[in-house]
Amino acid sequence: MSISTPGGPERRPTVVSTGKKPAAGRPASGAKAGSGKPASSPRAGGKGPRKPVTPVKVSQGRAWGPIALFVAVGVLAAGIIGYGAWASFQGSKPWDKRANAIDGIVNIRKTDKASLEYESHKSGPLTYKYSPPVGGVHNAAWQNCMGDVYDAPIANEHAVHSLEHGAVWVTYRPDLPKDQVEKLAGKVRGVEKMLMSPYEGLDKPISLQAWGYQLKVDNADDSRIDEFIKDLRVNASVEGPTALCNTGITATGTTPRELPQQQQPAQQ
Amino acid sequence: MTAPTTTDSEYDDTPAAPDEDGRAPASRYGVLALAVMVVVGLLLGYAGGLLTPRLTRPGDASVEAGFARDMTTHHAQAVEMSLIAYRSATLPEVRQIAVDIATGQQGEIGAMQTWLREWGLSPTGSKPPMSWMSDGASVKNGLMPGMATPQQMTALRDATGIEVDRQFLKLMYDHHLGGIHMIDAALDETDNAEVVRVAQTMKNTQQTELNNLRQLQAQAAKG
Repeated sequence: MSISTPGGPERRPTVVSTGKKPAAGRPASGAKAGSGKPASSPRAGGKGPRKPVTPVKVSQGRAWGPIALFVAVGVLAAGIIGYGAWASFQGSKPWDKRANAIDGIVNIRKTDKASLEYESHKSGPLTYKYSPPVGGVHNAAWQNCMGDVYDAPIANEHAVHSLEHGAVWVTYRPDLPKDQVEKLAGKVRGVEKMLMSPYEGLDKPISLQAWGYQLKVDNADDSRIDEFIKDLRVNASVEGPTALCNTGITATGTTPRELPQQQQPAQQ
Repeated sequence: MTAPTTTDSEYDDTPAAPDEDGRAPASRYGVLALAVMVVVGLLLGYAGGLLTPRLTRPGDASVEAGFARDMTTHHAQAVEMSLIAYRSATLPEVRQIAVDIATGQQGEIGAMQTWLREWGLSPTGSKPPMSWMSDGASVKNGLMPGMATPQQMTALRDATGIEVDRQFLKLMYDHHLGGIHMIDAALDETDNAEVVRVAQTMKNTQQTELNNLRQLQAQAAKG
């Protein structure tokens, strides 16, 4: 709609089209100028002959305007609904589905459920089918898992009890470079339901355990480590989210310990 | 040409410009109507989404509400017994399992109280305890299944030495048996996914603990 010099006649249709389809923007200046004048001038002006030309142009604008509006609204609505549906679908995916989607994870709950079952606590050294163990019978005492970073190997018999309480146990081969160890420790230190210790004889540099789940990776930068922790920490608890991680064994050493008699008499 | 003129006269406020062939207003209304329909549809969907959970949540007389209220009471006594044992028992394993039970069950109380609040219900029901259970006859002297009597609680508080361990283990064993009985009733009658999940976790935990308690009872009997 080339607004050329012709004042009145040209202006009018422009404004008309504006009223119909706001977006145009173009008319802004024209409208301003015209706001006062055109009301009278167009009427006075016998624009009879010119009109047939302008309406055609205007009607083209009109045809596209609603379509554009409609498409815009439609796309926006579809986008909002679509995103909402997708987000709620993703968010509502149960943790075990998300965990199973982790590349390379081993789900012992599925593949070997029997290895996780046990009658009651058992004291003394125990043998485990998987290395490091991911569940099954264990000692009465659990390893403290309040974000403890142990600098020496710990007893399986206690750590498995921590797993039962929902802890994620991060283990690494003792020859893992210092900076990698430090990177792992940064994910554990101070976070309840987390513990970490070196582990002799690992077939991969790093292995993560939750009750019934295991993931072995080569590198502390592997993004699956965070996925594993996100999906399984607390969620993997057999006894609900408030099973204890404190008042556990804080000493290292792979031989399981009896619970200390501690200051019991003093308290009485 | 008459039409345009008319339009012109009112174009300042009503820019409806029927200088086209009359199709313009029609399609314009069509667009408007469609837009309104879309908006109304969106609003209806939103309202439906808002209202559905509200209309389908458990009511005041529901099994879920009864379970949440009564299991809170039941758990609360277990927490008290466990904290007594954690403080005063002799065997380290007894103190260990006691503190685990105490914090675990206190946590479950938190979950159940949150349900009631979310359902817009009071922690106190208007019906007697256990009436949500089909065989609600199991209330004895106002106590739910497995709960210790006031005399037993007093005796536990007053006990010393290995006697604390023995009394606690016996009381908690019975307490868990009664608790599992209540949990089973809830599991039978509810299909609320969250209630089922928590109740199932409670049951599994208490069943394992029963084995551990029994094992400790043998240990405590020896002294």
